[in-house]
Amino acid sequence: MRLTCPYCGPRDHQEFTYRGDATAARPALDNTSVDDHNAYVYDRSNPDGLHRELWNHTSGCRTHMIVERNTVTHDVVSCEPVGPFAEQLK
Amino acid sequence: MANLAEKLSPLHELAMPRSGSDKIILSERLCDSLVQVQAWPDSVGEVEKLINGTRGKRSVMPTGPGRWLIDDPAEGLEDKLRKKIGAELGAVTGLTHARVVVSISGEKATWVLASGIALDFDLSAFPTGTTQVGHHHEIGLTIHRTGENSFDLYVFTSLVRSFWQWIEKASAEPGFSVV
Ligand SMILES: [Zn+2]
Repeated sequence: MRLTCPYCGPRDHQEFTYRGDATAARPALDNTSVDDHNAYVYDRSNPDGLHRELWNHTSGCRTHMIVERNTVTHDVVSCEPVGPFAEQLK
Repeated sequence: MANLAEKLSPLHELAMPRSGSDKIILSERLCDSLVQVQAWPDSVGEVEKLINGTRGKRSVMPTGPGRWLIDDPAEGLEDKLRKKIGAELGAVTGLTHARVVVSISGEKATWVLASGIALDFDLSAFPTGTTQVGHHHEIGLTIHRTGENSFDLYVFTSLVRSFWQWIEKASAEPGFSVV
């Protein structure tokens, strides 16, 4: 599998680190519901098909990105930069 | 008594000069100044100007968004840049002792590198004078192409012995010299 880093271009997936499910939204800091925080940490939908994931180009420019990927075919649909430099990389 | 100010190479006996084939020429170099500068997102242009404004015959290698690795053949660049680039503009990090430069040149140089590093070494994808950041078996590498058949590889000091052993093995088939 190859991922296209928004800064470096197409690279082997071994250069990247998986950083988790990009669809999970962290509860607000003033949200004191244990269930909400438990769900954020543990509950995953594990879809077959399109999924959004956070990846970091660890062995490259260290940019974080959201990869939209098909978990069945490994087709990569998009790699969008996130983080403080995201606007400049788009 | 050893001169404590003298720089010692971690490669030591591994990279002793020896003659062999000229298809691959390997050599090591310790930097006089190697500095990383990371600009904040809103100061990239300003920091770039300040880096280019310091005089000297140096390589300025882009290694990430708003980030450069600067190799200067004179000591003291870290202090010079730190004076110009304060914390409001970015972060200046001295890496002079943190990397060893392994240089490889010769007609088989790209062939050797491509055998272990998953990068496109074709000139159209990796032109002379440009930099790519990648790795070889988890050893991070900043690779600066200094010519069609020559590269400087900035390798973590603590891992450079292992990397050198690989590059010698990979160069054995065409044959190599160490200078
Ligand atoms: Zn990258």
